[in-house]
Amino acid sequence: MESADTFTLLPLVMDPATKAISANPANAALKNELEALNALHRGLLSVGTPTGTPPPPVPVNPTRSAQIGKLRESGNNEFRKGNHAQAVKLYGLAIDMALGRPHWEPSGLVREEVSGLLSNRAQANMAQQNWAEGAVDAEASVEMKKADNAKGWWRRGKCLVEMGRLEEAETWVRQGLEFGANEPDLVQLKQDIEKRKAGSV
Amino acid sequence: MWPFDAVDWVMLSIPIAYLFILVGSLYTFSSIYRKRKAYRAASLEPWFPQHLQRDIYLSLLHQEDPKVPDSILKAALLRRATEDISRIIQVRSQKQALQVLLQRGSVGDDLWQRFQRAEKEIEDELRDVVQEANAFAPNWGQTIFQSASELSQNNLLRQRLDEILSTADSERQWWDTRRSQIQSELLGELDQDKTKSPKEGSVAGSVAGSFRGTKTASDDDAVLVESGGPAEKTGKGKKKKGKH
Repeated sequence: MESADTFTLLPLVMDPATKAISANPANAALKNELEALNALHRGLLSVGTPTGTPPPPVPVNPTRSAQIGKLRESGNNEFRKGNHAQAVKLYGLAIDMALGRPHWEPSGLVREEVSGLLSNRAQANMAQQNWAEGAVDAEASVEMKKADNAKGWWRRGKCLVEMGRLEEAETWVRQGLEFGANEPDLVQLKQDIEKRKAGSV
Repeated sequence: MWPFDAVDWVMLSIPIAYLFILVGSLYTFSSIYRKRKAYRAASLEPWFPQHLQRDIYLSLLHQEDPKVPDSILKAALLRRATEDISRIIQVRSQKQALQVLLQRGSVGDDLWQRFQRAEKEIEDELRDVVQEANAFAPNWGQTIFQSASELSQNNLLRQRLDEILSTADSERQWWDTRRSQIQSELLGELDQDKTKSPKEGSVAGSVAGSFRGTKTASDDDAVLVESGGPAEKTGKGKKKKGKH
């Protein structure tokens, strides 16, 4: 970085109609950065504050949370009725909704919501015996929230076992036990895997 | 005149010249030394690469024709704050390790100088961003870094999630081919076993069926052991007996 009172003047151009910033000529890094800037600008335009600056993260806009909660509830209902495909769809919508939160809202909240929704979607996928999708969803759920997510760990482990990837399942479950030791479900699954390995070899 | 007559100017000029040369040489040495040091410090490689977001923001700020609207400037400032956050996190996390390395003599002094310069720069940069933010909206300076930190966290989170969820298609394909493979192999095995001996076939089928999805090689093994002949079985039995 240069000293505090100098900067490099970049060849930036603004499109007068769309207000999009572009550079001419541009290298790849600059182009990426400007894309991010334009996306953020579009997001900022819809922010409701009088000053046009993003509000502080802590008091969250409740409408979106309510919508997500509603979608999750209807997904749960469909799941209970046995319409698993419909439940997967609804959970997917809720996940998109949660990920569509403005990026300046708390990321911890997004993690929490998305982790729960992905875990539910994994369950709905498992109920349809879509083991591959279930495994991916559960993995994503765990990635969003590692601790206190025994269901997520268990679901991916189960999916891997069902697909016959016993080695992978074993390491996965062992990792899961490091995060939530003494989870009865995980311990049970681990024993199952060991039994199967002993049986198949 | 009396006092000046008594002074021997020639003899006095020697100590004066001595002092003059001494002070003069010290001065030149110190000035050259300091100049060199400053030059070396300035020519040290900067710790961080070019601050692209800062350059964009300032370029936009200085654009006159047409003037860039405030909303874009705010967005650019937010991007700049995001980059600053990642830099300050890097500086904080590297400081301790670098100090230890410096004490042990594992790294040179110029690395430490570079680092200290970067630290000072980032402090100035943060102060500058806060001032700019307060100029856009009162008290925005207090929350802009909170927003920026969430912004970078959120970007990271979504990137990671995209990476994982994008594997779903390939996983799905892998599993589809794998399943059809297993099914066809199982069917083939069943047919074979049926023609050989119905009893063994059913055993192999149920074994393989219960291990839905296990490696086919191991299934084959199981079948081989099953139909391995009486020699092995008796051998096992003998061992067991021996143990008892």
